[in-house]
Amino acid sequence: MQELIEYIARSLVDHPEDVRVTETSGAHAVIYELRVRPADKGWVIGRQGRVANAMRTLLRVASTRKRRRAILEIV
Amino acid sequence: MDAARRSVEGRGKTVDDAILDALTKLGASREAVDIEVLTEGSRGVWGIGAEDARVRAVLKASPRPAAPPRQARVAVAEPEIPPGASEAEIARRVVATLVSKMGLHADVVIAEPPESTASSEETQGEPPIVVDIRGDDLGILIGRRGETLRDLQFIARLIVSRKVGHWPNLVVDVQAYRQHREQALTQLARRMADKVRLTRQPVSLEPMPPNERRIVHLALRDDPYVMTQSTGEGEARKVVIYPRT
Repeated sequence: MQELIEYIARSLVDHPEDVRVTETSGAHAVIYELRVRPADKGWVIGRQGRVANAMRTLLRVASTRKRRRAILEIV
Repeated sequence: MDAARRSVEGRGKTVDDAILDALTKLGASREAVDIEVLTEGSRGVWGIGAEDARVRAVLKASPRPAAPPRQARVAVAEPEIPPGASEAEIARRVVATLVSKMGLHADVVIAEPPESTASSEETQGEPPIVVDIRGDDLGILIGRRGETLRDLQFIARLIVSRKVGHWPNLVVDVQAYRQHREQALTQLARRMADKVRLTRQPVSLEPMPPNERRIVHLALRDDPYVMTQSTGEGEARKVVIYPRT
């Protein structure tokens, strides 16, 4: 799951070496925090959050199989 | 090229960074050099005791023309894509990587672009690259009204565009879902057009995403008895078929 976010983010930004994803497990959900260089944020958010929302869709598919809700935050 | 520049040492936090550093110094692309890893480096604990990774890059005897740094960076970040791969092959690999990292098992193949009226007439010339995901239980990849497939295609296009430097004409499909949907929609459109022609009453179809509305508009574009129009906003936007007066 973390790998999915990392792969997408690294493929889009100008500085893939500065992409970090951390995972925090809660009772019912897992929170993924994606960090990129401030200048790269636009790439992972997109116009009107389109990229971020598309990543959330793919994450949701990947996580429903594990019966855990996944939340993606870009910080 | 002078001898001193044929071999350089690169440094960075990781081996990939060090290779990138070396390639930047040489102004060469990844495939034009041989890389020898000197030290892998270590991250240390909280940055204490961290050691840079170091590599030696040696230009091969007849190097290819130097690639711009952007390409070098991409090649380093995604070593699984061989240099010189076609756009279709790059797209196939990107989709395959996405699907496998989503935890799904499927075959990803380059499919023939459909010989349909809807896609070939509008996009003159260049047929789209069609990448089809094949396997069992992949309905999850399509999602409600194809939303998941739409987002998967969007992300795949974006990643491919970053690799090839332009917006690719790429269609991502699951078990030829889009192709079947197009046939079904075309048939539906013709059936409803007949109804409109006979009753002379407008018929509105179910709300549909933009690409599906487009299929309906195109299917009835040359129909002398009816005309089509989209109404409604966002998710609720739908096609209405009117009798031509």
